[in-house]
Amino acid sequence: MYLQSRRTFLKGAAFSVAGVAIAKGVFATDAVAKSVSESKFTNTPDTISFYPDVKEWNSFKELDGTDWKRGGIERHGVRSESNPDGIQVNDYTIVPTVCSNCEAGCGLTAWVNTNEFEKGILTVRKYMGNPLHTGSRGRNCAKGYAVTSQMYDPDRIPFPIKRAPGSKRGEGKWVRVTWDEAMAAIGKKMHDTLAKGDEVSKKSIMYHVGRPNENGFGPRVPQSLGIDGYNSHTNICSAGAREGTIQWANDDRNSPDWGNADLIFLQSSHAADAGHYFQQSAGLIADSRKRGAKMVVIDPRMSNSAGMADLWIPAWPGTEAALYLYLANRIFHEKKKDGSDIVDHEYVKEWMNWDRLMANKAYLKKMVGYGYISKMPRDDSYESFIELAQELYSPYTKEFVVKECKLEGMEYKLDELWELFVPAGAKIASYLWRAGAIGHRGGWMNTRAGFLPLALVGAMRGDIGGVGMHHWHEISVAGKGDKATVAGEHPAKTDAWNEIAWPPEYPIATYEMGFMMPQLMMDDEWHAKWTKRGLKIPKSMAVYVPRMHNPLWINPDGFRWMEALKREDKFELTFNLSPTWSETNWYCDYVLPVGLAGERNDQQSTPSKPEQRIEFRQAVLRVAAEKMGWKAKDPTRATLEAHMKFGLGEVWEESEFWPNLIMHHVDADGSLGVAKYWASKKDPSRCVTVPEWFDTAMSLLPKLNDAAHKMYPEEEYPVYSYMRDHGAWTEKTDVYKPQEEELKVDREYVYAHGHKFPRHEVEKDEFGALWVQEGDFKKSIGIIKDNKVLAGFHTLSKKLEFFSEWLADEWKWPEYAIPIYPRTDAENDKMVHLVTQVHHKHMHAENEFALNTIYRLPYNIHTRSVNSKHLMEISQNHNPVWIYTKDAEKLGIKRGDAIKVQIQDTLTGIKSGYFIAMAVPTEATRPGVLACSHHAGRWKLKDAVNIPGFEHPLGIMSLGSPKVDMTNDGKVGTMTTTEGIKPHEAWQFKEYNKDLDDIWWNGLSGAWQNAVAPCHPDPIAGNHGWHQKVIITKAGADDKIGDISVNYENNFKVYQGWRDQLTRPLNASDKLRRPYHIKRPVKPSQKAYRVNIKDV
Amino acid sequence: MNNDLKQEQIARINFYALLSRLVMSEVDEGLLKSIEEDENMLSFFPTYKDWDRRANMNREDLIQKYLNVDFTNLFLLHLVPYESFYMREDQMMETGGDNPVQQIFSELDFRVELDKARVMSADHIGIELEFMYMLCDSELKALEDGDLEAAENIARIQYGFLNEHIMQWAPMYLLNVKSEAGTAFYYDVADLALEFIMSDYEYATQLKNSGYKYEI
Repeated sequence: MYLQSRRTFLKGAAFSVAGVAIAKGVFATDAVAKSVSESKFTNTPDTISFYPDVKEWNSFKELDGTDWKRGGIERHGVRSESNPDGIQVNDYTIVPTVCSNCEAGCGLTAWVNTNEFEKGILTVRKYMGNPLHTGSRGRNCAKGYAVTSQMYDPDRIPFPIKRAPGSKRGEGKWVRVTWDEAMAAIGKKMHDTLAKGDEVSKKSIMYHVGRPNENGFGPRVPQSLGIDGYNSHTNICSAGAREGTIQWANDDRNSPDWGNADLIFLQSSHAADAGHYFQQSAGLIADSRKRGAKMVVIDPRMSNSAGMADLWIPAWPGTEAALYLYLANRIFHEKKKDGSDIVDHEYVKEWMNWDRLMANKAYLKKMVGYGYISKMPRDDSYESFIELAQELYSPYTKEFVVKECKLEGMEYKLDELWELFVPAGAKIASYLWRAGAIGHRGGWMNTRAGFLPLALVGAMRGDIGGVGMHHWHEISVAGKGDKATVAGEHPAKTDAWNEIAWPPEYPIATYEMGFMMPQLMMDDEWHAKWTKRGLKIPKSMAVYVPRMHNPLWINPDGFRWMEALKREDKFELTFNLSPTWSETNWYCDYVLPVGLAGERNDQQSTPSKPEQRIEFRQAVLRVAAEKMGWKAKDPTRATLEAHMKFGLGEVWEESEFWPNLIMHHVDADGSLGVAKYWASKKDPSRCVTVPEWFDTAMSLLPKLNDAAHKMYPEEEYPVYSYMRDHGAWTEKTDVYKPQEEELKVDREYVYAHGHKFPRHEVEKDEFGALWVQEGDFKKSIGIIKDNKVLAGFHTLSKKLEFFSEWLADEWKWPEYAIPIYPRTDAENDKMVHLVTQVHHKHMHAENEFALNTIYRLPYNIHTRSVNSKHLMEISQNHNPVWIYTKDAEKLGIKRGDAIKVQIQDTLTGIKSGYFIAMAVPTEATRPGVLACSHHAGRWKLKDAVNIPGFEHPLGIMSLGSPKVDMTNDGKVGTMTTTEGIKPHEAWQFKEYNKDLDDIWWNGLSGAWQNAVAPCHPDPIAGNHGWHQKVIITKAGADDKIGDISVNYENNFKVYQGWRDQLTRPLNASDKLRRPYHIKRPVKPSQKAYRVNIKDV
Repeated sequence: MNNDLKQEQIARINFYALLSRLVMSEVDEGLLKSIEEDENMLSFFPTYKDWDRRANMNREDLIQKYLNVDFTNLFLLHLVPYESFYMREDQMMETGGDNPVQQIFSELDFRVELDKARVMSADHIGIELEFMYMLCDSELKALEDGDLEAAENIARIQYGFLNEHIMQWAPMYLLNVKSEAGTAFYYDVADLALEFIMSDYEYATQLKNSGYKYEI
């Protein structure tokens, strides 16, 4: 109809609806102001510069964002006394800090508007990145920018609250208390516990830390109390990966050089989608891909990373080790196109501990016995080792891996993998973490086996573009402000060993078995068993302190947690140091509101690239106020005072709370001898302040110390001042191959790891390792190569340990002391510890699947972000169950159908219960494997609580969680949603929350599947096997998405089954609780490591 | 006032109102109903009129599952309905006060409520078309009042705005929309907008060439 006649358009005059009723009407009339020629501002900024020069950070003026786009300054001019209608100019103090929403610790800057400082108002208008942070480079993910919505969360807990006297835990009755009242009651209980002084009392206070996002302050707290009371969230999400890395390098994770790699080799989406350091890693991966690097993702689910990869291999979850050993087989047997070996012999020969394997004839005989090799090697030579390895890995053929990883029809992908792998040489960067490593029983072997092909081609050398080790790139000094205290030294190691965190069934777990705490606490049979064998295990926790942690919700078997926390005979006094409402809070005695990213004081260090860097998280209102001249009445409580004075509420944080609590309430008279660890050296009548502590701690970095003293010669705390103003410091760049660095040796001493050892006390063994005596134990400090003393790896042999001799000889798992995976059906049954509980052999019917639960939703990583309106709005998808299209077709399941997902344990055959979820058929998960992240499904029992004497009800997760009905009778628990969230008005932070009437989502982000899953730890690493075998059916007429039903009595039997059938507990032949050389956060004394198990 | 002139002016008002509304926000059930139940209006959407999905689905589903998806693609995600994107060599959007369209609005004491419009800057196609709607409406009022000088002044602005702004980029954008449209509805919206704008530019040019001699 090109062109219509004018007459045709005239028909428009006869529209039945007039234009005025249709037009949107977006114009308003407004008089123009005279332009302001003197202003520094222009109508449109000349350049978009997100970050002004750091010199301007103390006072940076910017036009208010809500006005300047509506016409620039020519509209109304710039606001002033004579022009009150002008556009507002915000005078910002830009305070650097660090995000606290995940482990990445990306730099932030808080833009604190100081316009109304004189009226006692400071407002953070926005959080941006910190360009001085060399890891995040000024960039952030959605969670970083959402920190403002967390800070001004309308449900922010405004003051400490306490369970109402006479009420029971979980009733939801609360009263307001002051911090001092809370500290007095808690301090007395802790004092009375410690004053007993016996062994059990040293195990009866538990500090259970969620994602710490700091490097060492938290662990020092229980250590300063002389107890073994540190517990963490760590192992549930990473123990498998840590175990595999510890066996190779005695470091608990690797640290890749993404930016310089030629091949990005990912197992799961963790590194680039939503995992450790992902925002920083993803940026570096993007840089390297722009340069031409290739990317491989091994994941049953097509994640964002897999979708962008050059190659996606959807191996059956938990079988990845077979794939890696297939690569090893080809590496040992094939050659490069130029005819040379693919194995980097120079590196392997020098830096892998093949020599110890070849010398250990007893173990080699065992290998023959296991059928790993057919005969003893002819000699101890390297060539014989290569021959041994060739035979050992020859069964891992393409046919085998296709069958084991269920890659039928995708054989070509294995060829493509090989074509990508070999040309990359040693420039392969990988981070073997999360799903493959911790979703499974035996998941640790996926990491152990995964590092083998990388080691063989030299990528584990830690050189440019390869894989380094975590501790090379991390700086932990937050717990080392000792010299600022009266004690002047680090607290001594305790002689106690806490079996609740470190149970005797899991001596090499990595690390605390924190997620099975309620099972252990309520298992009287287990308690009696070990008491009879001579261990002194507490029957109750006198004080239990979760810190930024929501253990009840995030851990498996949530109803067991609920039952346990309600038991006042098991948990006598509990308090949660929590920045937000949480399910755990509901069952605690006190909720003490603590700070988020811009309200805390922490030193953090994130090894996201080959450099050594620290970040400094700060209470930004306090810092901005102090820069404006404000001073706290009590310098030890400056953060709390600033938050109260400048409108955030009675929100505190740990680096001021713990010193005050311990010094003034736990050990007020000093009789326990612990107050001195927190009393200020400068003024012993009070505890240390933030500047005192962190200046001392961070001064341990020599280059930072020098730079700070030059820049701040007049300041009392120059290092603190530097970090206060910059937020990040990079101490060293290009940290490659430190194991090959030469140690200093002079006529008297060998210098290693910050210590010096008299030469006459250093012994060299037959393999060149240097040993010294450390108390009752020996430790290795270096290795001799070519007449040079080199640092070596962190292992006992100082080499990468292909052969984990300590695991084989002393720690009862000889058959798994080398990278191995069952090669036949018979081995698959026998080597049960290495075989995933969701192996395809367990799937029989068409409706039986492996459920992949371990992938993070980028917006919902940790439970602290539950009530961020911005994050909630973009994550409302009901966390569906992904099901392969043809699987769904077979079962008649369509997009949006509600399905019942029933969990069944494959070791005991016991069924746990079910959750109801929405199905989404998709090609983005492999056949036979469902996917549904366990990071969703928050709940609350009430919309709000009324605090006597306080005029406003305190809302509970009013932006992030629906309300539920719950039943639990001690055996079965159920939950069903009753009401979603609704638009409402905020009573606090109103200006920021005036859009709450726009809420369109109901808050149901999925089912609380964590509660349905039984607690079943891997018998070696101790990680919870997150993945589950599930049986799915269409939901019944009465079932709603989000419903759950759990038989947690059955779950208890599963926990007992895995523990008793699979572990190899300490026994009378054991002399140690745990290998002394491997990491244990907050290591107790050597005496505590000694154990004497009675033979009964 | 001559009835033909009045009808012509009302038609212009109605078209600018309808088109600005359709390219600024998702269509709602009420507006869709109005279009479908008015034979005149529906005749301007000939492809949509015969679209089989329209016959097979209720309006709510049609909007949710098809029209909103297409709108998002054409106006929010993949095409850029802003003049500065098409006119600047660097293809950057000018969202500040230096935006030439913004400056015209400022000179005329108009302020665009960007929040209400849900657009990034004042040179969005929907805003420009609504600006024309307001000018036409003002012109009609001036003619009805017999204030020919005011009407001429407003008509001059219309010509200038069409000539220097809308005609410089909107046809290119609308051709892209036609090419990318995934529904019959937005295909017709683009086609109608394209033809109407060109036709109205021709009308404005003729009026200008006549020395703004209205046939009162």
